[in-house]
Amino acid sequence: MRNSASLAVLLWLGLGTTGAYAHASLDRADPRVGSTVASAPRAVSLWFTEKLEPAFSTIEVRNAAGVRVDQGRARVDSTNRNLLQIGLKPLPPGTYRVRWRVLSVDTHTTEGSFSFQVGQ
Amino acid sequence: MSRFMLARAVLAILIASVPLSDALAHCFVGARFFPATLTVDDPCVADELSLPTVSAFKNSNLPTSDFPSAREIDVSGEFSKRITDALGVSVASTWTHLRLPGGPNASGFQNLETTLKYQFVTNAAQELVLSAALSVEWGNTGAQQVGAESFSTITPTFFIGKGLGDLPDTVRWARPFALTGQIGYAIPSSSSKLIPGEIDPDTGEQTFDIERRAKFLVYGGSVQYSMPYLKANVVDLGLPDFINRLIPIVEAQFQTPVGNTFDPGLGTTGTVNPGVLWAGQYFQLGVEAIIPINRASGSGVGVIGQLHFYLDDIFPTSIGRPIFASNTGRPMFGN
Repeated sequence: MRNSASLAVLLWLGLGTTGAYAHASLDRADPRVGSTVASAPRAVSLWFTEKLEPAFSTIEVRNAAGVRVDQGRARVDSTNRNLLQIGLKPLPPGTYRVRWRVLSVDTHTTEGSFSFQVGQ
Repeated sequence: MSRFMLARAVLAILIASVPLSDALAHCFVGARFFPATLTVDDPCVADELSLPTVSAFKNSNLPTSDFPSAREIDVSGEFSKRITDALGVSVASTWTHLRLPGGPNASGFQNLETTLKYQFVTNAAQELVLSAALSVEWGNTGAQQVGAESFSTITPTFFIGKGLGDLPDTVRWARPFALTGQIGYAIPSSSSKLIPGEIDPDTGEQTFDIERRAKFLVYGGSVQYSMPYLKANVVDLGLPDFINRLIPIVEAQFQTPVGNTFDPGLGTTGTVNPGVLWAGQYFQLGVEAIIPINRASGSGVGVIGQLHFYLDDIFPTSIGRPIFASNTGRPMFGN
């Protein structure tokens, strides 16, 4: 019985379905991390494993020349605080780099970057 | 000052003292997460609890060793606490059970170990972390029947961790690799001990043996491949979540006598430990094989497993925070 209870606590902690908060890891992205998309996306959407603090969560998207191609301001979705999005300018075919840095609601910062390609 | 203004001032002080730092906590360096390793230490300071770490192996079987070859089971725990964002302490204790061949079993605690660690470089762009630590194994705090020494050992140690996320696109599959390393110098608190021997029959005087205590170079490291890094920073292959949380790893740890050595049988010992870690949101699990590099290091293949809790995530506003957290935010993207 005690072992079962311990196992339940571990699963509860490990699967992240708790009232506590942890570091926000990137759960998935659109465009997908490392993917090639046929047509230019109009936005980059990032889903995280934790809720985000909007004021300290941001995304940059740059082309191969290092020029920013995003519309300048990432926003946390008001109905889903795990979702961070940023609009994009019209993208010609090429390789683009997404850099993100977010603050989860428990004040832990995480960051990362990935590339995607358009029409190649 | 009115009571209202005083209350506002107190409230302002309280708000200012609420930690607003972008705390990184367990070993995040930029996009890189260095997991807690089982055999060597990870290069960061953190609020974490390893409990338990359990290992089973067959120890040294050389006739020059203090004990004959024995099956050994170790159960240990370690609690690490950040004092500031970059300075931390840890306390570790190990309970050992020895099953001697043909003899009685022996059980007891090893000496208590404490460590003070300072993380002096954290370079997010290069996924580089450097730290230095001073560890003390406190003599006479353990049971001598399981090999706990009567003297203390002080070990200054240097740590490095480097993620390979800055590799070029042509080898982006290798970006999830990371390396950690450590090198320390273990200095016993006394260099020798006089042990009374037999009475010399010719002179009738007491003879003594000298037990010399060697200084050791203690070193090791790990090579790890992070599936979480692959998924979030290189390519999302759509693998199951369980796979995306795995970190295959090979750890190695060695010790070489380098000073005060007069025992010709004393050489380098160590183990190589291949295994895998699973990193959850609040804890991680790890299991590794223990492969001795020579007969002086043990015989056969042992195993080590660990349950490790990220206290900074489980208790982000209490014991999971540094005692003195900085309140300065970090600039976004280094600008």
